[in-house]
Amino acid sequence: MDVRAIDLSATTGTSRLHRASPVTKLIAFGLVLAAVVVQQNLFVVLACLLLCVALAVGTRLPLRKVLGLAAYPGLFAVVFALAAAPDPLTGALFVVRAMAAALGAIVLVFSTPYPQVFAPLQRVLPEVVGDALLMTYRSLFLLAEKFERLRIAIRLRSGLTRGHPVRAARATAGALGALVLYAFDLSQREYDVMRLRGYQGRLRVTLPHAASPGFDAALLASAGVVLVTAVVFRAAGAALTPWSWLLAASALLALLVTVAWRLIPR
Amino acid sequence: MSHIHIPDGVLPLWLVAAGWVAALVLVWVASGRAKRADVRRKVPLLGVVAALVLVSMSTEIVPVAYHVNLTVVAGVLLGPWLGAIAAFIVVIMLALLGHGGVTVIGLNTLMIAAEMALGWGLFRLFARALGRRRIGWAAAVATVVTLAITTTALVGLVALAGGGAATGRETGALDPASLTFANPFSGGIVSVNTLRGAEPAASAAPLSVTRFAAVVYTLGPIGWLIEALITAAVLSYVARVRPGLVFGTAIPEPTRPVGDEGAH
Repeated sequence: MDVRAIDLSATTGTSRLHRASPVTKLIAFGLVLAAVVVQQNLFVVLACLLLCVALAVGTRLPLRKVLGLAAYPGLFAVVFALAAAPDPLTGALFVVRAMAAALGAIVLVFSTPYPQVFAPLQRVLPEVVGDALLMTYRSLFLLAEKFERLRIAIRLRSGLTRGHPVRAARATAGALGALVLYAFDLSQREYDVMRLRGYQGRLRVTLPHAASPGFDAALLASAGVVLVTAVVFRAAGAALTPWSWLLAASALLALLVTVAWRLIPR
Repeated sequence: MSHIHIPDGVLPLWLVAAGWVAALVLVWVASGRAKRADVRRKVPLLGVVAALVLVSMSTEIVPVAYHVNLTVVAGVLLGPWLGAIAAFIVVIMLALLGHGGVTVIGLNTLMIAAEMALGWGLFRLFARALGRRRIGWAAAVATVVTLAITTTALVGLVALAGGGAATGRETGALDPASLTFANPFSGGIVSVNTLRGAEPAASAAPLSVTRFAAVVYTLGPIGWLIEALITAAVLSYVARVRPGLVFGTAIPEPTRPVGDEGAH
């Protein structure tokens, strides 16, 4: 989990998606997620997945990291499908569904800084939860960096070697123990700093306005069309399923066009 | 089995909705309890412990490709109420990274919060029974028992979701009729006959709970053991260096100093 890469992409990206309103992106993600969850047809879910990939390609997100993160839940879905799916096609649906939903979330966080993703949630959650979400985000970078340094130090002393799992586990445990103590010291320091800055039990994040309201409207409309299509295909059942492969083919075409557009030198 | 690695859209809507409602009620109650304490001081602590769990979940034990969860450690450090809030935060952040579904955030919160609360309670129980000198054992046993219970809860969840034919369709089972391909050009221009027909539609099939339980109970104990070893090592380390963080004041001091065993 490379949080620094995610943060870098979210804060330095210049695409229209990056500049869209966080609330719009959250709603659009919710609509696409609903479409993926509602659908039972493999081809319609596959179309959602391909459209998410096309969006990632079109907005020039770091594709290797995005697809790598999306593959992770796919891997667990494969295990779940092998363990519980009644037949291979249902298993395939589980995997594609998991990857499509995950890719939607990943495109969201790669194009929106975490505090802006949390800001709408912060307004509806209890104070302590909203503030702790932001503190977790801040602490995550500090702890991840500290832990990486500890791991390097252990590796330099040959603590992490593939041939010695017990030694590796003990070394990792030692590093995590040191990290626990560091985390407590860090929380004390952060509390002192926050009090000095006048913290009264509420951290506020201001949400940026959309740079291009037209793009926001188009994004919402597109996500709405995806959901309506999914609902119609679900409601129509057997009447429309013979045509569902057309959706997957169209989404694949859209992805190919996006890739070609991106490859054109400017 | 810390968090549920079940994809979105597999569990039935009623179960997902019930999970969300129960998790939100838990988080609101836990926030109310946290307010009674010095909430401003708790916020950074919650943040760093939640971040600690996230960091540990992204740390692979090199040769066996297993990631630790540290949920029992977090439970011992935070207690059950703050632990519930930390669980909610961890699950939200994981879901945004695609690690665990968004729709199962509620159920995942309940699962991790239960793990933290059970870990906290069992650790205190075993630590009291075994004494401070066997903190590692207390942590290891508490972790194994906690993970065994939550793994069973997970199997129960899958049984609730897909154990009966009544919930089969809602589990997201693919209707075999979906594999009937139609060719939009068959009436004219081009006729492609390679994409045609499939098996006749069958009734919706439920999830295989028995197979799922067999896999989980076969692979699970390996994970429980690794988690128990790591938790024992981490809590032993913290208990040695900063005992106040682990024991609070509830557990009595040992009657003899450590290393005095052979004096008599």
